[in-house]
Amino acid sequence: MKAVLILLALPAILLPLACFVYIIIQALPALNWELLMGSNTTSGSLFAGTAGTGHGLWGQISGSLLMMLLACFLAAPLALSIALFHALWASPYQQRMMVILLQVLQGIPPIVYGLCGLIVLVHLLHWGISLAAGGVILALVILPLLSSNAIHALERIPIAQTESAKALGLSVGAVIVRVWLPSAWSSMLTGLLLAMARALSETAPILFTATVFSGITWPDSIFSPVTSLQTHIFYLAQEGSNAHAVDMAWASAAVLLGLVLCFSLMARLLRRYEGAL
Amino acid sequence: MSQLLHDEQQQGNTQQTSCSAPSSISLKELSLELSGTKILKNVSFDLSSAGINCLVGPSGAGKSSLLRCLTLLYDNWQGKITMDGIAIQSWPKGADALRRHIGLIAQKPSIFPTSIYQNVIFGLSRQERKQDQQKWVEACLRKAALWDEVCNRLFDPASTLSIGQQQRLCIARVIALNPNVLLLDEPTSSLDPRSKQLIEASLYDLAKNIPVLCVTHDLEQAQRLQGQMIFMCDGKLIETAPTNDFFQSPKRLETREFLRWSVCNCDE
Amino acid sequence: MLKSPLYLLLISACMVALISATVLFWFLWDSSWPYWQAFGISQLWAPEWYPYESLYGLLPAIIGTAWAIFIAMIIAVPCGLAAAIVSSEILPRFWQGWLRLMVELLAGIPSVVYGLIALWLLLPWLQNSFDLLTGHSLLAAGMILSLMILPTIMLMSYDALRLIPIEQREAGMSLGMDWNQCLLRILLPQAWPSIRSGILLALGRALGETMAVMLVVGSMDRLPQPIYNILEPAQTLTSRIGREMGEAAFGSMHFSALIACGLVLAVMAICLSLLAQHHKPAVTQ
Repeated sequence: MKAVLILLALPAILLPLACFVYIIIQALPALNWELLMGSNTTSGSLFAGTAGTGHGLWGQISGSLLMMLLACFLAAPLALSIALFHALWASPYQQRMMVILLQVLQGIPPIVYGLCGLIVLVHLLHWGISLAAGGVILALVILPLLSSNAIHALERIPIAQTESAKALGLSVGAVIVRVWLPSAWSSMLTGLLLAMARALSETAPILFTATVFSGITWPDSIFSPVTSLQTHIFYLAQEGSNAHAVDMAWASAAVLLGLVLCFSLMARLLRRYEGAL
Repeated sequence: MSQLLHDEQQQGNTQQTSCSAPSSISLKELSLELSGTKILKNVSFDLSSAGINCLVGPSGAGKSSLLRCLTLLYDNWQGKITMDGIAIQSWPKGADALRRHIGLIAQKPSIFPTSIYQNVIFGLSRQERKQDQQKWVEACLRKAALWDEVCNRLFDPASTLSIGQQQRLCIARVIALNPNVLLLDEPTSSLDPRSKQLIEASLYDLAKNIPVLCVTHDLEQAQRLQGQMIFMCDGKLIETAPTNDFFQSPKRLETREFLRWSVCNCDE
Repeated sequence: MLKSPLYLLLISACMVALISATVLFWFLWDSSWPYWQAFGISQLWAPEWYPYESLYGLLPAIIGTAWAIFIAMIIAVPCGLAAAIVSSEILPRFWQGWLRLMVELLAGIPSVVYGLIALWLLLPWLQNSFDLLTGHSLLAAGMILSLMILPTIMLMSYDALRLIPIEQREAGMSLGMDWNQCLLRILLPQAWPSIRSGILLALGRALGETMAVMLVVGSMDRLPQPIYNILEPAQTLTSRIGREMGEAAFGSMHFSALIACGLVLAVMAICLSLLAQHHKPAVTQ
């Protein structure tokens, strides 16, 4: 039995690791400083050979990060409010409904959010394919994740602590600021970092609502289209015959992976630090 | 030994009879080291006939570790432990078979999240579960002094019992396997007085048939249980004596100190 | 004094979140309405999808999705569960923490990256070993999906197993149970509720995964011939939306049909997550 289990478990542990190593190996030749910081402004149509596969990824990186930041700025205050409402005023029934609703929203495929955003934001509100549409959609995608994290963070504060603070005559606001935030900030930050990683890795919802293939380094306004790493990989991956494009795809994958791992590693380290407290 | 083999051959048949054959366990020069600390130092004693043996000593004396060695939950000890003349490390059918003969009851009850009834028969293998199983469950629960409290809710979840009742359920669960020796690790240390009293009474009954080794740091309990006292301190065996001699005329200085102050210094 | 403005602020924020979610989903329903109105619910099992001839049957994509998920689960559930058992019951404590961290990080790898890997490694391998035209197939989609949902299953099962107190294992052992019996009769039954919701969560993720599937599934809008043929290009609900959304004109029937695909996906996902919550916590005492 043990042997069978180990045999089954080996691919589960080794294969993803092998994938990870493979990406790094593939990307190493293409990775350099110029690639990261160089811009990709060579104009040209999508299907004309090497055009659009210029030498820099700065546009894509900044586009991804911009969209992620926008999503977090929109979602974080909402998530905090939802968590505070859950902790302060919601009845047990409401609390239960909120948790169920959040889990259901979390279970809905991101591409469905993309569709909703396409209809409402891009077409009905005439935002067009834009940074704003991508940001709002990503905000909706990460909102359930962020909120349930924040709710858990507040739930983990011992009730006795809250009650003794109230017994000292502190107002609700003071309880939040002086008791809850100091003990919950680290797990909330963990949640935020995880949500950032998630926003960075989501591709499907922004594929036809926010991004174009090339030609943009820095969006003129919040209502203009952007380029992003995630979709860049997707476009390049389909140009299988073009060696340069493939190189760029691996490089983009490595950069994206680096960014995502950066955020999620920070989150895990923070969680460990919090566990050590 | 022959009795034991006989038992294994007819497991399930003999099981229905109310008592199993007593076994003798002997420890020789048992030493245990865990992550660099010596927990047990050359402990030797025998548990031969039926009866209660109380293992007492200050906390950290290695009492619980000793029980874990006896059931092979620790197996990196040195020395020799034999049961009916067979070294337990080379028990014919392995450690799992050995543990069926040595019942161990932990300090905190750890019930399985099923019904009371299922908990009692949890350790029985499929062949051992047979037609008059219900009677066997009743007998075990009676011996553990729990039957009267649960007889009309046998199929309720075991988690609805109080902690004291859960501990008695654990005892019933172990008795159901017909152990040849019973080891208890401070079985009543966190229980209500009523459960404590019931458990002591049922231990007293069980000890008529098999050797019972009860770790306790409650000297009054040891006095109540009567039997052989085994006093350990800092991983060393200090004194063994019948209860009355132990309390009235202890031979060793350490024992006297322990009886008076409940502490013990036996640094060399 | 502080309560009322704060209360208003919080409740309005919650309302904003609730309303925006509702509005989005209402429009999802509203935009797919022309499709349902024109063809009716029976389109769910109509086998033809040719947008140029106004044939919009959803069956090929639904079958494709089902196959991909089925393949993924068949690989991922035993492997993930075994990995969880090995790491929580066999590996020493020190390695457990590291392994968990690693698997958590792997869970965060973007799906498009998995897609790239599948395109580059998996497809040529399938092409050679099964002698296919291209490697694009449901099998490829299922295999890459299984890789993506492994961490989810493993993490949930691992946490569930670790949550079972060590005393339970020892209680089992002192009843003379061997390792297998402890596993089958104590650990797995107690961890099962969490493992089950882990599997359902993974199922939901596999259902909604778009990018990796889109890159490898081949986007062929017809039923597999015969129905168990998983070595040919096919289509899933998500890959269809991803592929054709760019071509469909806003307001057209094609657009409406694609939104309907999205609606079907959303309904399935909602059912799954409702199922996943329907369990009691596994902890005793």
